[in-house]
Amino acid sequence: MIPKSITHEFDQCIKCGLCQATCPVCKELLLEKYTPRGKIQLARFYNQGDLGLSAHYQDIFAKCLLCGACVTTCPSGVDLNKVFINMREEIAEKKGVHHKMEVVVRSLVVNYNISGEDNSDRGEWRDFLKDLPDHMYQKDKAEVVYFVGCVASFFPMVQKIPQSLVRILESAGVDFTILAGDEWCCGFPLIGAGVPEKAREMIEHNLERVIELGAKMVVFSCPSCYRTWKEYYRTDLELFHSTQLIEKLIRDGAIRLGAVNTTVTYHDPCDLGRNGGVYDAPRWILKSIPGLTLLELENNHTQSVCCGGGGNLELADSGLSAALAQKKIEEIQRTGAKTVVTSCQQCIRTIRARAARQEIDLDVWDITELVVQSMSRV
Amino acid sequence: MLLKSLADEFRSMVGDEWFLDTPEDLATYSYDGFLPEFRPDAVILPGSTDEISKIMRAANREGINITPRGAGTNICGGSVAKEGGIIITFHRMNKILEIDTENRCAVVQPGVVNADLQKEVARYGLMYPPDPASMFVSTIGGNVALNAGGPRGVKYGVTRDYLLGLEVVLPSGDVIKTGGKTLKNVSGYDLTRLMCGSEGTLGIFTEITVRLVPMPPAKATLQAIFSDLDDAAKTASAIIGSGIVPTTLELMDRVVLDAIGDYGGAQFSKEAQALLLIEVDGEELLVEAQGEKIEKFCKERGAIEAQRASSPEDAEKLWQARRTAFGAVARVRPNCIVEDATVPVKKLPEIIKKIVELADKYQLKIAILAHAGDGNLHPLIMTDLRDKEEMVRIDKALEEMYEAAIAMGGTLSGEHGIGIAKKRFMAMEFSESAIEIMRGIKRVFDPNNILNPGSFI
Repeated sequence: MIPKSITHEFDQCIKCGLCQATCPVCKELLLEKYTPRGKIQLARFYNQGDLGLSAHYQDIFAKCLLCGACVTTCPSGVDLNKVFINMREEIAEKKGVHHKMEVVVRSLVVNYNISGEDNSDRGEWRDFLKDLPDHMYQKDKAEVVYFVGCVASFFPMVQKIPQSLVRILESAGVDFTILAGDEWCCGFPLIGAGVPEKAREMIEHNLERVIELGAKMVVFSCPSCYRTWKEYYRTDLELFHSTQLIEKLIRDGAIRLGAVNTTVTYHDPCDLGRNGGVYDAPRWILKSIPGLTLLELENNHTQSVCCGGGGNLELADSGLSAALAQKKIEEIQRTGAKTVVTSCQQCIRTIRARAARQEIDLDVWDITELVVQSMSRV
Repeated sequence: MLLKSLADEFRSMVGDEWFLDTPEDLATYSYDGFLPEFRPDAVILPGSTDEISKIMRAANREGINITPRGAGTNICGGSVAKEGGIIITFHRMNKILEIDTENRCAVVQPGVVNADLQKEVARYGLMYPPDPASMFVSTIGGNVALNAGGPRGVKYGVTRDYLLGLEVVLPSGDVIKTGGKTLKNVSGYDLTRLMCGSEGTLGIFTEITVRLVPMPPAKATLQAIFSDLDDAAKTASAIIGSGIVPTTLELMDRVVLDAIGDYGGAQFSKEAQALLLIEVDGEELLVEAQGEKIEKFCKERGAIEAQRASSPEDAEKLWQARRTAFGAVARVRPNCIVEDATVPVKKLPEIIKKIVELADKYQLKIAILAHAGDGNLHPLIMTDLRDKEEMVRIDKALEEMYEAAIAMGGTLSGEHGIGIAKKRFMAMEFSESAIEIMRGIKRVFDPNNILNPGSFI
């Protein structure tokens, strides 16, 4: 049963088709069924009993980045993202999870992470750090919890992010701790796969752990974890993305920045920008770094184009994800900058992997890596 | 339903991948930006003129209806399979074939998105003027079929004014070329202009040659607020009458302003009953002088407020209200019917008065948005399609509105097209002789009536 709150959304759709202007997927796949309008109408047809839930139908809804660009563009205010997530739920309920999501869902339910590895290995990114303090950033009590997230914890390509952020927090004297093996997936991939009820256990567990530690604030380097907590976790805890906290630390004089003489462009991650509302903090940080020149992408802020890494698309259709990463790289290249900075490990993985595969000369940095670099130049 | 043998024949022409008949494809190609929906029997994505020619030949032979479709953003029902058959869509034919800067023209395939063409030619300091609101999505092929307009129409005209030539696949499958790259061409009947606005009923465009103009170096943007809708309308006509040719002259009434305010957009003072958004472009000095003149003009005619943008960012802000207008109005009630009555610009105040009267008479909620500079009105009727009784009242109101517009020397559609939306009003504007001629033309091009049947003729 599709709830009224959702049917109300697709009743608002006037089929104007303007959403096609900003959807990266439909620009690649061309067909109406892959456009945001198409998916809204497919939802309506299903609800009316005109269409059943075929494997193809499921696949269509899986080929979506959940980037939210259509939500921004829709003149009628339809919350398309809400409809798409809900349809994935409806389909998963009636047919089961998309076959390409099965492995990840199983890994999450059994191991509480997306990598399939033992969750006790979650803190392994610390192994490569020199001068690790005795507590290894895992304390019994702390003001702030740094919630690392599955991807940055387990994927070597982006472990630099937590490695960099802990240095920044430590240097600034922040009283923080990580959860290491006690950190469970925030639940976002389960919500994205249409099984939000399986995320409930994670949500409860993560909240309990943070509260046990006496923390008042949680900081995230992953925008998806950040927005998932904001939207799905019932809590009074203060939630910050790393860029917001770093901005505060710079303003308070707790961090000093040295010169990094280079020209960069900045990619707004969908879950941080459009879906998280954070555009200014990362830019403020970049502008505070002496010698750094920031060139904006032609589509920035609310118009930022997804890198191709969103919405579990990497699992559903890795080829499509890569094609979108290619488009992102081309947009980056058009600025003339040889370096792109972003603040999301998934964006980094997606863009870097594609650049490497195509042997494109492009530096892809997370903002935390850049800040550490800048701090070392003082 | 298509016979399997025919489906196979079409499949062999374009390849399996580009012949679609899954339930999901048929469902998503059953609608466009208008209201009624018709499920097609198949959807074909051809990749070349040759493939389209083969498709039409077979369709003509077998009497299978073919409806061409661009991005499906038209609001007249032009691109739905009203009498069944196959939808042909041009997503794959989306290349800009040539930008000829010396001849100031471009040759494009029908699937090129309008805004993409504009962006590409801007790199050469050139402009493709027709800027329909759908331009970020609508295709040049669709633009030509509907003779698309846009706010810039008041100075620059419409698609027809920029169409130099076409390659067309006729319903028989034969391919003809019309026009060319020359600005002047009086050889034979003007088939190029005949095709423009033919709503996909005479032929399928496979190559389109358009005229480009130099990109104007500067522009000035102004916003004027009026405490009286009539004042605003009169000012709009007067500006045109004075010999100033603005690039844009848009009007929005109080109903629109309220909707914008309600949805978090700009707030306007209680006295504001209408807003004019005006733009002029050209050489810097000229544009400065014109901007000043227009500001004075507005103030002399009852504007309670007039502000000129002092920077491109400022201009963007002024445009925000206009850009969000439709969306804001569309949210007020479940559905929004966008009408398109057009009158000579001198009659603008009169037709606006008429619409306000009709809204009152038939108890309808109507917002008025207009390309005031060319008398092209967009009454936005906020309604609920499920309210059958209101639908009847709307129909009555529309009939009276069109009668009035035509009596004023106007027309049923300025830019949206007739399609199925206004088919029933055609006799209001055209005599039986005129309609017979149109039917005759249709018969010559399409003796078996297979191309977009059920459309306006």
